[in-house]
Amino acid sequence: AKHTEQHEGRLYNIPLEEVNAVFPHGLPHRFQQQIRTFNEARVMVRKPALELLAYLKGSNFTHPAVRYVIYGERGTGKTMTLCHVVHYCSRQGWLVLHIPDAHLWVKNCKELLQSSYNKDRLDQPLQASVWLKNFKTSNERFLQEIKTQKKYMWGKRESTEEGRPLREVVEQGLARVRSASDAVGVVLRELKQQSHRGSFRLLVAVDGVNALWGQTTLRKEDRSPVSPEELTLVHNLRKMVMNDWSGGAIVTTLSQTGSLFKPSSAYTPQELLGKEGFDALDPFVPIPVPNYSPREFESCYGYYLERKWLQHDKAHTEDGKAELQFLSGSNPRQLDRLAGPL
Amino acid sequence: HGTARALGYSPASRVPCRIMPVRWTRYNPSYLEPEVKKESYQRPLEELTEEEREQRELKAVRPIKAAPPTLSSSVFSDPMISKFTNMMMKSGNKVLARSLMSQTLENIKRKQLEKYHKAPENEKETIECNPYVIFHQALKNCQPIIGLSNITKGGKTYQVPVPLTDNRKRFLAMKWLITECRENKHRRTMMPEKLSQELLLAFNNEGPVIKRKHVLHKMAESNRAYAHFRWW
Repeated sequence: AKHTEQHEGRLYNIPLEEVNAVFPHGLPHRFQQQIRTFNEARVMVRKPALELLAYLKGSNFTHPAVRYVIYGERGTGKTMTLCHVVHYCSRQGWLVLHIPDAHLWVKNCKELLQSSYNKDRLDQPLQASVWLKNFKTSNERFLQEIKTQKKYMWGKRESTEEGRPLREVVEQGLARVRSASDAVGVVLRELKQQSHRGSFRLLVAVDGVNALWGQTTLRKEDRSPVSPEELTLVHNLRKMVMNDWSGGAIVTTLSQTGSLFKPSSAYTPQELLGKEGFDALDPFVPIPVPNYSPREFESCYGYYLERKWLQHDKAHTEDGKAELQFLSGSNPRQLDRLAGPL
Repeated sequence: HGTARALGYSPASRVPCRIMPVRWTRYNPSYLEPEVKKESYQRPLEELTEEEREQRELKAVRPIKAAPPTLSSSVFSDPMISKFTNMMMKSGNKVLARSLMSQTLENIKRKQLEKYHKAPENEKETIECNPYVIFHQALKNCQPIIGLSNITKGGKTYQVPVPLTDNRKRFLAMKWLITECRENKHRRTMMPEKLSQELLLAFNNEGPVIKRKHVLHKMAESNRAYAHFRWW
């Protein structure tokens, strides 16, 4: 199921062991419930994903990394497209840096520490350690191969010398939770510097990239608002998303649902990224994700019928199908919600 | 005067009254009920009998009452489910009640499907996955056959066994289910979770609601002697 080229509208199966290995933290909640109920993970192949895969296959890795921004209205399948691309790249053997939702890093953070590395910035130990744990499960073998190129000091006594595998940096971050965000920064910097050598390909997959340039809901102890630059995680991620490195690609998704202080009808890159974000991400390839086409809708409906998800008697009739299509407006999320109780 | 005429409430035919009716409809008797089902309009003229043709002509002429918001022409609507949702509703929050109901049905479906996929081949047919069938069967299992009513005779009140109408039985079954789910649960369990548990137990004739029904039957059986106090 690696190379799905002309199979638009069909669903392909991901074996369950791979799901746990590749996506420890990436899939949407409803999709995870669906995997548990049906005992299998099925992803629909759609045009935007095929487009992206074609670009990735044909891209030249000596040039600077190309940025792709997936955008679309609410519930049209942007996160699922991203997951499809991530799965493809991990099958091909790339190193995948998957951030499930950048919005989680700019809101609802209980602990903010002052960074030891740089006095102005603030650390987030909890989110950083969670991310490091998931990164470890998804990219086991790369952590052994890649070696650090500099000596890093964690506080007064601990340090990591040159030439040690990256796994030690990650374990240091997990053991000493206080320096977890710095560990994340180190990992990102190492990967960026070493990717142009060509021993591995790097895919940076960020969901909800508009969180990096908006506002945060976090406050410092003196109740003054925190801007995203002051968070170490966000600062390092911004450096990653800049296209000054080569040997990989950057695929991002805009997301309105988690975004802060943005109206719910906004879905274009211009509105959601704001001026700062748009200028920072400027030369990017936009990939719009539309609602289901009639063929995709029929395929999804057929899948639900086959897995006995639509149990209502009337749902099997033509009338029921027409009604589902009308009520959901061919929007994947609405169809999923409607088909739940039926 | 203008609003009274819009309601079809002509002062000449009824008792003139200044108060506008809120809870009971006082439509003029010439108003007809709305017909929601699509199938009844698609039948061609030849299929209808004489009375039905007269009905259709009447509908073209007479005014029709406004359709209530609970009446829908969707193929997926079920009157029992809407009644249950209305009973679950608190302070008019129908949005919340309906979402709770849909989450309950989804929960039942998930649980049954998981059981179905794990069961061996010969047992697969016995597992019922349709949440609507489970809901209707569970309600039927919870309905009491006979009820008790308080009758005062000679200064003392007796609990007299009395037959119940269909509506009363349905109401009691739904009421017991909802009160059971609201009271006897852990503080952190959500309503859909608890309701789906209760419905599955009632479907298999187990659980606290069925027990309550049996207790009522036993009380009625023990008070058989007072049955002649009933005069209706």
